[in-house]
Amino acid sequence: MNIVEIERVTKTFGDHVAVNSLSLAVPQGSIYGFIGPNGSGKTTTLRMIMRIYHPDPGAGGIRVLGEMASTAASDRVGYLPEERGLYKKMKVSEVLRFYAQLKGHRNPNPLIRTWLDRLGLSEYSDKKVETLSKGMSQKVQFISAVLTEPQLVILDEPFSGLDPVNADVLREAVLDLRRKGTTVIFSTHDMAVAEKMCDFIFMIYKGNKVLDGTLDSIQDRYGQDTVRVRVEGDNFDAQSIPGVEKVNDFGRLQELRMAKDTNPQSLLSELMKRGRVVHFELTRPSLHDIFVRIARPGADSTIPPVQTGVAHA
Amino acid sequence: MHKTIIVAIREYMVSVRTKAFLIGLLMMPLMMGGGFIVGALMQGRVDTKDKRIAVADYTGRLFDTLEAAARQRNNVAIFQGEGAARKQILPRFVIERVDTGGADMQRLSLQLSDRIRKGELMAFVLIGPNVIDTGKNPSQAMLNYYSNTPTYDDARQWITGIVNEQVQQLRLEGAAFDPKVVRQLTQRVPVGNLGLVKMDAAGNIISAVETNQVATFLVPFAMMFLMFMVIMATTTPLLNSTLEEKTQRIAEVLLASIPPFQLMVGKLLGIVGVSLTMTAVYLIGAYSALSRAGYAQYFPWQSVWWFVGFLSLAVLMYGSIFIAIGAAVSDMKEAQSMMTPVMLLVVSPMFVLQNVIREPGSTLSLAMSLFPPATPMLMIIRQAVPPGIPVWQPLLGIALVLLASLACVFAAGRIFRVGILMQGKGAKISEMFRWALRG
Repeated sequence: MNIVEIERVTKTFGDHVAVNSLSLAVPQGSIYGFIGPNGSGKTTTLRMIMRIYHPDPGAGGIRVLGEMASTAASDRVGYLPEERGLYKKMKVSEVLRFYAQLKGHRNPNPLIRTWLDRLGLSEYSDKKVETLSKGMSQKVQFISAVLTEPQLVILDEPFSGLDPVNADVLREAVLDLRRKGTTVIFSTHDMAVAEKMCDFIFMIYKGNKVLDGTLDSIQDRYGQDTVRVRVEGDNFDAQSIPGVEKVNDFGRLQELRMAKDTNPQSLLSELMKRGRVVHFELTRPSLHDIFVRIARPGADSTIPPVQTGVAHA
Repeated sequence: MHKTIIVAIREYMVSVRTKAFLIGLLMMPLMMGGGFIVGALMQGRVDTKDKRIAVADYTGRLFDTLEAAARQRNNVAIFQGEGAARKQILPRFVIERVDTGGADMQRLSLQLSDRIRKGELMAFVLIGPNVIDTGKNPSQAMLNYYSNTPTYDDARQWITGIVNEQVQQLRLEGAAFDPKVVRQLTQRVPVGNLGLVKMDAAGNIISAVETNQVATFLVPFAMMFLMFMVIMATTTPLLNSTLEEKTQRIAEVLLASIPPFQLMVGKLLGIVGVSLTMTAVYLIGAYSALSRAGYAQYFPWQSVWWFVGFLSLAVLMYGSIFIAIGAAVSDMKEAQSMMTPVMLLVVSPMFVLQNVIREPGSTLSLAMSLFPPATPMLMIIRQAVPPGIPVWQPLLGIALVLLASLACVFAAGRIFRVGILMQGKGAKISEMFRWALRG
């Protein structure tokens, strides 16, 4: 069953088309990652799912939790906006209680204690929000989104600005939600997180869907055209090797994208001529690379077309 | 509906617990009582340095009276208290005679002006030669007071009084009237300022009592001032709180749980609660102060419910406007410029206050008090000033304010819905109107 079904939805603000004829299906119990450059329509899409925005009248519609309802914010959906979203002057426990009551929860106090405990925030329960660090308020924000055990949780950039320890805590909490059957949609700029955590990845660019599917299916479309190498040698310059289309230099490692019909073996021998090859790995392009290929200014026109309306299990 | 109440309770609790609320609560008694306290402290701290006044008396018949009056004043009138507590509270006036024989008037006044510039004199007075008998040449019948401190008019008024009294006396004597008889004949008739005569249940006629000027002016004025203060103290913070919800992205979280209109109404109800709390504190305080002072009969019981009704509607009306502004702008600076016209509306009753208190029954007063932004404050005044107004007028006023409030809340709801999620630059007034009209 699909928790969210978006069908040919368009949203315009004045002359600006924020989302263009978008279709998307989010299966129950999955983690769905939204990626895309800033201003490409991610937040607009999330807000439409939240019913904060309404799609332009016309063709399709949005079905959330099987309901087509056009108004009324849903108590079964939790939401974490990007970065902020808490009253600075209120105490942590008060904010959480207020948000939980707004979701229709009558006695949220035990749940609040449990969650504060779990995320290591119990001692801040009576502190004002303004005294919290960024990471801590992000965790409080997260609690407010999941406290009332919604069926669908929407997180806008949940991991941004967190140190590795807190990022791990939150990631564990998100995975735990999925284990309990909660569907999670989150947007992120961290491609590694998206690769590791998401069952499905959706990329929107300039209001259009450009990627949608599992990581495997997305990478498959690009084939094994990437080589990860580490070559020791003076003045090593991979760009000059015939058949290398693009170099992503990570310092110790370099990612080479091969032109079509380039033989990896001849590339290896070319590399060996230029230095000592320490690492040579034939691989599929990373999500990072795919993202950049699509969104880089003057991006190549060779993006494989995306199949619209992919049906998920 | 349930969620609206939750929002209202939060708004109320947060507002009531802020320092701003407490300060606002203390503000009004401080402002009203502060004047008295400062006045009491300042008393006896006036400048009691001698003031030298030169007098050029061209009649030659008035200087002695002035000097005698000054001596009398300097010995008695400028002191307060008895015995050891006797203390000078006003400056002495030292009168100096100017020889009018030699120089002409023009030159003499220049000399005296120069002495004032040098600080030797505070002022000088020219008494024209024909002051007593104006028949010959009225242009010479002047009393001119020269100084470079025109705002200090104690000396001028004192001299005016003394000279006029003496001149009158001399003229009467000149015409062979007995000043004593004249004074008796021209005595003014005392006027009593009374309310109306009533008849009690037993048929006895109760004679009218002297009207208490202070109470009839002070009570309506205090009520209007109270309403103004409460409106200002409670509605303007709504702008800030809405702006915070917008810029801190709290609105997104809230709108994920509650529709925008309900959210806004919740905030408004919370603030109505705050304003009623404030009012209750003041009214109870005022009543206990009045009854302690023995003036309990002046407490305007009959107006309290009207006051509560008008205040609630005014808070809804202005509160919704401030919410709309808070939702439409992107920072406090933009908000300030939009607030100015709204503030003008809030203070508009002040412009006609004088006229309305003086003539609460006039057509202008009626018309102004039916102009919804001004209705709450002006109706309360017109009701509180005797003889009051027919009951259909406040009822019509309530109905009109209710309509205006609903219109404001409705329009604000539309502006709120669009504006609260807009980041980046704030909206122009024209855009706000378009949102309000088109939805």
